[in-house]
Parts: sequence; structure tokens; C-alpha cells
Amino acid sequence: MPLPEQPPAPPAKRDMDRRSFLRSTAAFAGLSALAASLSPLRELSDFTSVEEFMQKYYKEMTPEDMQRVLGRIERQVEREYGVRPHVRDLKPMDGVEFVYCLNLTRCIGCRKCVHACVAENNQSRNPEIQYIRVLKMPHGTFDMEKGDHHYQDAKVPDPGYFYMPVQCQQCENPPCVKVCPVHATWQESDGITVIDYDWCIGCRYCEAACPYFARRFNFTKPEVPKDRLNPDMAYLGNRPRRQGVMEKCHFCIQRTRAGRYPACLEVCPVGARKFGNILDPDSEVSYILRTKRVFIQLKEELGTSPRFFYYFDK
Amino acid sequence: MPPTVQPPPRDPVESRRITLALVGSTVLFLGLAGAFVMDLWGRPDLPARVPLVDVKFLDQTASRRSYADLVRAKEDLSDFDCYVCHEKDKPPPVKLDATGKVIIPEEHENIVMAHGSHNRNNLCYNCHNEANLETLHVRAGPELRWDQSTQLCGSCHGPTLRDWEGGVHGRTNGHWDRRNGQSFHRLDCVNCHNPHQPSIPGREPAPGPNLLRPGKPAAH
Repeated sequence: MPLPEQPPAPPAKRDMDRRSFLRSTAAFAGLSALAASLSPLRELSDFTSVEEFMQKYYKEMTPEDMQRVLGRIERQVEREYGVRPHVRDLKPMDGVEFVYCLNLTRCIGCRKCVHACVAENNQSRNPEIQYIRVLKMPHGTFDMEKGDHHYQDAKVPDPGYFYMPVQCQQCENPPCVKVCPVHATWQESDGITVIDYDWCIGCRYCEAACPYFARRFNFTKPEVPKDRLNPDMAYLGNRPRRQGVMEKCHFCIQRTRAGRYPACLEVCPVGARKFGNILDPDSEVSYILRTKRVFIQLKEELGTSPRFFYYFDK
Repeated sequence: MPPTVQPPPRDPVESRRITLALVGSTVLFLGLAGAFVMDLWGRPDLPARVPLVDVKFLDQTASRRSYADLVRAKEDLSDFDCYVCHEKDKPPPVKLDATGKVIIPEEHENIVMAHGSHNRNNLCYNCHNEANLETLHVRAGPELRWDQSTQLCGSCHGPTLRDWEGGVHGRTNGHWDRRNGQSFHRLDCVNCHNPHQPSIPGREPAPGPNLLRPGKPAAH
């Protein structure tokens, strides 16, 4: 196409020529589009306070630091739920190592433990976070792939099946602890692997490392109805979590470090769940490991050495 | 003075096209920005809300109340006053039907005898004391009060009693740590088992996990 003759462009006389007008309009539109695309951030309400941001690592806190932190948590919970909680930082007891035993002959798969755990540990109801999964397994196999979480029988137990609840196995050699890049999860001297929810960065490596699918992630802000909040809380236990942190079974640290049984045990209608101090030869768990057919540590071949034992009565 | 390089002359058609494109994209971006802010498309459908679990599934009380529980709670014990109806020193006879199964009199019609398979434990006086209906007895053994029924059960179910004493059969509530005398409560046999019909019927399971996924949960 031949170029037509054109007069040279007149010198700019106006304050704004077409090009700079378009440029600034496009810049304005681009910025507004960027702002609009960030608009979901408007819903962020859970801002970290300076106090929370400056908080030290759990193991480096002095008792005075911890008192301040516990006070901060109590205030936050009271503001949000209208209930003044009692938050404690319970330390492991000397000469105590916890072990859990579960009687597969007795378990009827009623799932009461699942919901007692949710109620005790202030887990999110929406979306649902549960620490315990109950697998319905056909007799004669331990193939986990044959297990079913979603059984909807009108009555349990269903003949021909056994039920296997799975939760955090509190491994002696925990893979989840090894992968944590910030040491937000560690094993305590009584055998409980704990999480500092204020130190967790939510990378979910531990979730991937756990061979038992025991860890849960808070994809949203956990939703706990005010009238179902359990006000007896522990720092490493059931205090309300933030969005974006991991959580898991901690053997009800707020109960067991105060000498009580875990919530899942106390609700079990058949007494299939047994808990205690393995270092005490007279404890229930010592009796079981001594006299019962302790059948499995789940996925024993992985070398995680769980402190959770499944056994049979008959 | 060096010669100035003249810019090539513009094509008016192309120039108009560029203007149109720029104006068009500006309008498009502004429109999109407005639409985002006003949530014109709405949010994706949220999964249905998970209903709160029925509190009956959180109940920790034992399924049956034993005589000992009634005594502790200072409740009405009139069901255990046998001699309101029965006569002393005159034990009611046990009648059997043609198959050898005990016939339950209509005054006790709430009792279903199903203790042990093949009617192995079929006779009232295996456990009840015919000489004193208000007590129990181990056959050819000591007389036991109602609240000692666990020992009676253990006279046949020895290994189970041993487990129970070790805290392994049945449920214990309270404290695992009893070094400082903290309290615990162990359920008795009759807190779960009906002595006339000891096998425990099935029960309704609590709701399963909600995966927030569309479609039906996996069939089993």
C-alpha cells in the first residue's frame, strides 16, 4: 500500500494530547482492575496483632511471656465467642509416656468418638474438620483400600465387617515433625506430637508426610458455634485455630496432662478405647500390651513406631 | 545543523484503528473492574452447610442404670421389693415349655430370656436366690447383694472379670492418673449388658464425614 502524502503533525497546543489521555486512562483502568481483583482481601478480618506477630517461639518463651500470650488468647476468644475460656499451658509430666490401645473386637463403628473429639477440641463444623476417621473393613483383610468411611447403615455393627478408627498415631519416629521447615510441630517427652498454631506457616508438608492422613488443614476460618465452644483450653491443644494452620489429634492434651482420659475414650459406649501411661506397669495399657493379642501398629513397616496399638480380645 | 529525521507519515486508517483498540480496551477494563467490585457474577456456589451433630451422640452416660446407680442417686428402689408380690419362704416354681425354655410369667413380661446360646443359662435360680428373692447367689456359693452383680457375672465369665478388674473390659471414666487419689468410675456389667439378654443390640451410627463434594458418597 503506497503511503499517502500527509502533512506533518501539528505541534501540541492542547494541555493533553490524545496519546497521554489514553495512556493515563489505561493506567487508571489497569489500577482499578488490579484493585478490584484484590477485592476479596476486603473480607480479611483476622488480622494478626502486633503482639501476636512479635510472639516468640514456644520453646523460647519464659513463663512470663507465656502468661502474656495466654492472656492475649483468652481476650481474643472472649471477644470472638463471648465466653471467657480457661487457657493453660500444660507441660508433660515426668515419668509419663502416653499410649493408646484400641480393641478392634469391641469397636462397633458408632462414630461417637469422632463427634466427641470435635466437641472437645473446638474443631471447625463448617467446613467439617475431624481428627478421627472410622473405617468399615470386611472381615479377613487389613487392606486399607477396602475400608469405607462413608457407611450409612441404619444399625451398626454390620455383620461381616469390623471397624477401625484411625487418628494421629503419635509416632515415636514422626515423619511429620521431620518435614516441618519452621519447627512448628515437635514431639514432647510424654510422646505427644504437638503443633504451635501461632508458629505454623501452613505449608502442609506435614500433611503430605503423614502416612496415616491424620493432619488437617484449616482452609477457611474454622467455624465453631458459640454455644458449643469448649472453654477448657490448652495452648498446644484445643484453643481456636486461625485460617491457614494445621491441626491434628493431640491426645486431648488439655485433659490428659491434667490426669483425665481423652474425650474419645469417655464417650466410647463399648469401652474399646484404652489410654494410659505405658511407663506405669499397673496401667490399663501396660496390662493390654502384656496380655492381649496386640495385632498391629498401623503401617508398622514404615518404621514410624506408633504409640497407638490395635488389639483383639478373642 | 544535522538533518532531522522525519517520522514516517501516519496512515489515518491505522491511526483510527489504534485509537479504537485503546479506547475499547480501556472501556473493557473499566467495565471488568466495575463488575468485579459489584460481584456481578456472584460467588461460586458454596457447598451445603454441614448440619450440627445431634447432641445425643455426645452423651457419655451408660446405656443402662444399675441398682448401685439407683442407690447412689437415692432413687426409687421399689422394683427390687420382691416380697410385695411374692411370699417369703415360698419360691415361685420355674416352669418350662416343651422345648425346655423357661416360661416367663406375665408379671415379668419385660424380661426376655436370651442369656447364652442354646438356652445354656435358662433358669432363674442360676442367678436369683430362691431362698431370698431380694438377693442373688452364685450357684452353691455365697449370697450376693444386687450391687455385687459384677462378681456374680464373673463367677462364669472369669477371664472377662479379670479384664474388667484390670480396667480393660468395659469403660472407665475420670482420671487415668490416680497417683494423687484422683477419681475414676468404672462401669459395672449391668451398666451395658442386660443380664437376661446380655448381647448388646446394634445402634444407630453418628453421621459420617461430609466431604463437601458433589455427587453421592462412595457405595460400600
